[in-house]
Formats: sequence, C-alpha cells, structure tokens
Amino acid sequence: MTIPSTTSSQTPTTSGPVPASAGNPHPMNRIWNAARLNFINKWTVYWIPLMILGFIWLINMAIWWIIDANVSGSDRQDAFQGTQWSGASFYVFVYLLVIGVQSMNMTFAYALGLSLTRREFYLGSSLAFGVLSVAYGGVLTLLSYVEEWTNGWGFGGHMFTSVYFGAGPVWQRLFVFTAAMLFFAFIGAVSGSIFMRWRTNGLLIAGAITMLLVLGAIALVTFTQSWPLVGEWFVASGPHGVVAWTLIPTALAAIAGYFILSRATPKG
Amino acid sequence: MTSSSPSSTASSAVVSVHGLTKRFGKVTAVDNASFEIQPNTITGLLGRNGAGKTTIMQVLTGQDFATSGDVRVFGEHPTENARVLSRISFIKESQRYPDDFQPKHVFQSAPWFFENWDADFAAQLVEEFRLPVNRRIKKLSRGQLSAVGVIVGLASRAPLTFFDEPYLGLDAVARQLFYDRLLADFAEHPRTVVLSTHLIDEVSQLLEHVLVIDQGTLIIDEPAETLRGSATTVVGTRTAVDAFVAGRDVLHRDGIGGLASVTVGRLDADERREAAQAGLELSPVSLQQLIVRKTNLTEKEFETQS
Repeated sequence: MTIPSTTSSQTPTTSGPVPASAGNPHPMNRIWNAARLNFINKWTVYWIPLMILGFIWLINMAIWWIIDANVSGSDRQDAFQGTQWSGASFYVFVYLLVIGVQSMNMTFAYALGLSLTRREFYLGSSLAFGVLSVAYGGVLTLLSYVEEWTNGWGFGGHMFTSVYFGAGPVWQRLFVFTAAMLFFAFIGAVSGSIFMRWRTNGLLIAGAITMLLVLGAIALVTFTQSWPLVGEWFVASGPHGVVAWTLIPTALAAIAGYFILSRATPKG
Repeated sequence: MTSSSPSSTASSAVVSVHGLTKRFGKVTAVDNASFEIQPNTITGLLGRNGAGKTTIMQVLTGQDFATSGDVRVFGEHPTENARVLSRISFIKESQRYPDDFQPKHVFQSAPWFFENWDADFAAQLVEEFRLPVNRRIKKLSRGQLSAVGVIVGLASRAPLTFFDEPYLGLDAVARQLFYDRLLADFAEHPRTVVLSTHLIDEVSQLLEHVLVIDQGTLIIDEPAETLRGSATTVVGTRTAVDAFVAGRDVLHRDGIGGLASVTVGRLDADERREAAQAGLELSPVSLQQLIVRKTNLTEKEFETQS
C-alpha cells in the first residue's frame, strides 16, 4: 500500500514541539489548493465525461449510418440538415452543472474539514469551474473543427457544429462553449449553496421564484405580442451574442452563491 | 469578510471562550460556557450525546457560528480566519467526503493544507490500521472511515487538533493503536489536543485536563489529576458507613443487605485513617464513574446513550 507523495512544499519533519505558528495561511496557495480539491479525482473530471461524450458520439455515428444506408436523394439531404439541431453534446453542460452542485454540497464539507475558510473554498471552486469550462470548451471547439474537416464524420452529421453553437471563427466557438459551461457551473453552484444553507425548503422556494420569473417573462412577451421580436433577436444576435447575455445571470449566480455559502454550515 | 487583527490577550491559552452560547432555534445547544485550553496539553471534552461537545468544537473551528459570547483561538476569532484555521485539524465523527473520493485522495489533498504533514507517518498508520486506500470512501466500513480521520488527525500534526469521537466502529485493537500512536507522537511533537469521547475510562490516562458538558452547560473544568482524587467509594457495614459519611456530600449510594457502598468527595490522610479504623474499605472512583455520578446517570444508561 502506498500513499501518493505530495508535491506541495513540505517542511522536513523535525522532532520537537509543534510551533503554535505552524500554519500555512498564504491566501493564494490556499485558494489554489481549494481549486485543486475539485479536480483531485481525474476520473470524475476528465475521463468519465470524455467517455460519455465518446459513447454519445458512437450512438450518433450509428444513427447517421442507419440514415445513410436507408435514405437517399433529397430525403437524405433533409435528414442530415436536420442533424444541425442536434442536442447530443448538451449533456456535457449538464455534467458541469452537476459538478457545481456536488462541489457546494460535498466538497464544501470536506474543505471545511481541512480547515479552509468558506471564502477560500468558494473562490477556489469558482477558479476550478473557470478552468474546467475553458478545458471542456477547448475540447468541444477542437471537436467542432474535426467535425468540419471530416465532413461531419464522413456522413455530414452534426454534433459539435449544431446551430446552437454556430460555426464562427475559433475565438467565437471557444467563447460560446466556455461561457455556456460557466453558466451551467454557476447555476449548479448557486443551487448547491442554497441547499447547503437552507436545505430542501430553500431549493423549493428558489425554484418557485425562478418559475414565477420565467412565467412573468413569458406573459410579458405574449401580452405584448413580441414573440416574433424575440425570434428575430435570437437570429440577429447569433449564438455568441445570445451566450454573451448569459454572462449576466452567470455573474449574478456566482455572486449570490458566495454570499449564500458564506453563512452556510455543513450538517452531519 | 477579512479576519480580525491579532489581539494580544494576557493569557497564554490556545483556546479561550467566554460566555459562549449557541442556539438552534429554540434549542440551546451550548449555554454560557467559559473555559480555556492550555497549550501542549491533551484535554478531554466529555459528555453524553447531544450534550453540546460537537457544537463547541464546530464553533472553535469556524464551522458554525456562535449565537453570543467571545471565542478566541490563538488569540483571534476563528470564524473565516485563515491564520487561525490553518493551524487547526478538526477530525469530526460525521465528516463527509465527496462521493467519488477514495482514502488516497484524502491523503493526497490533506497535505496541501497542513504544513507539518508527515507523509511517512501517514503511510505507516495506513498499514497499521489496514486501511484500503483504493476503495470508495462510501464503501468503507464505519471503522475504516474512522481510521481515515484518525490518520489525518495524527499525520497533520496541527498545532491544535480536535478529535470528535474519532474511534466509532474501531475495534479494541485499533482503538488501542490510536491511543498509543497519539501518546507517542504527542510526546515527540507536543501540541494541543482536544479529545471528545464517551469511552472515558479508555482515555482517562491520556487526559491532562477534563471538561465535562451536560445539556449545554459546562459542569466540570478541572485537571484530570485533581478529578481522579476528588471522590472515594467507602465500603463496609451499613451502620459503619452511615456513621462515617454523615455530614458529607454523598455522590452515590449502593447497598445490599447490611452492606453499603457510598461515594463521597475527597478524603484527606486523617479521614482515611479514621475510615480504616472503622473497618471500612476505600476504593478510588474512576473518571467515568465520577462523571456518570455527576451527570446523574447510571453507568449503563451512560454507555447505551452515548
């Protein structure tokens, strides 16, 4: 049985009393180490999401192959045009939402057990969500180019170049993927902190408020007969324009999560 | 959210608590407790389940917020204070770990936060506790889960270490191992240790100071040595015993037929002689018995409730 040795700075073990000042309160170290807590299990953050992505891609390939083998002519063209509306990679975003929830729900309790402050934990975890969003965003961007270069994986299919993401220049794709990831991560984080602070009742109330806001927005748009305007706005903004607007709720969720968690206590 | 500036207090205590009260709704978990914990000692925080032990430790380690009162650890408020918290290791019986964690992940990440972490010592303890490091923590037995905490608490060598019922599910051999390693490492690297437990007799030899809390109130705050001699059981014929204990504070009374066994407070040398002349037998009272007497419970009740 071996224990992985640590890479962080370690003072050589000296015999004698433990000096009362023997802490390591350097703030940046502690925040970065709090971030690292979120990706200590390589399986959870790298391999499992990649494997699921790979599996979904295989299923898609199979479907494309079935269509390819059985449909021909203009129907075939229609069908592959249709794959532009693919939501196949949506799960990656949900995966980040789950990471956000789990971090606030479980890593938080562990972090306090390691004597981190709530502030250090939250800032570190936010940093981790940022790193993961850029990493996942980078992978999806790369795959969107592979999809193009291989002419839709040989079938003209779409999984990473669907209409939701657009097919703009590289920075635009990276931005769309990353910002969308951040949105889901922090929605997860704020939900997780609400649960940590107020338990189920908190989530129910937050859910009810969100539903009322959405309903209000729908009512507003419907009564002013503005649905066509909304549609036009989506088309005019393009994926990156729409995603840019999500940065506002993302930032609000991130800030709210900080203040909600700052008075939360993990229960046994 | 920045922490308070260091304040110089006259006392050298590592922990000093004044009038600490913690309420959860209508329940008062800790009621106006005041005490100090001296550096480089092992203090026992004893009491029944729900007495408020864990709550006190949660407040001292910044995991929970005091309702009122002044709490200082290393001279500062511990809440959200990295300067204080980075010197604390708190091993909680109910500690939760992320679902996907294995013990190896704990031993990999804990050193990031404890400057004095001793990786060799941790590896040795893993061997000795026979802890499977590559199994999901969720799938560990209660004893193995406790071992994870015990190992972190010992190997972190934090200047202030709290063990909250650290041995749940550990068998007698493993518990003895924990006491042995704690004592040996403490001798080599003195530090401040707070041990909360209900297995009082098992740890009584380790403790230098004893705090007993009952229903949120601190009822005993004394050096263990003082406490050990603070009560004596007098055994003999009922009439002789009654004559001897007349006018004394009786902590406990037992009797069968014409025999009586009565626990009273401290006896000095003269009184001991007097008892011997009256044909009475004197026996010391264990820490556990004493605390049980003081918290008004039968021993059996105490053990089953804890």
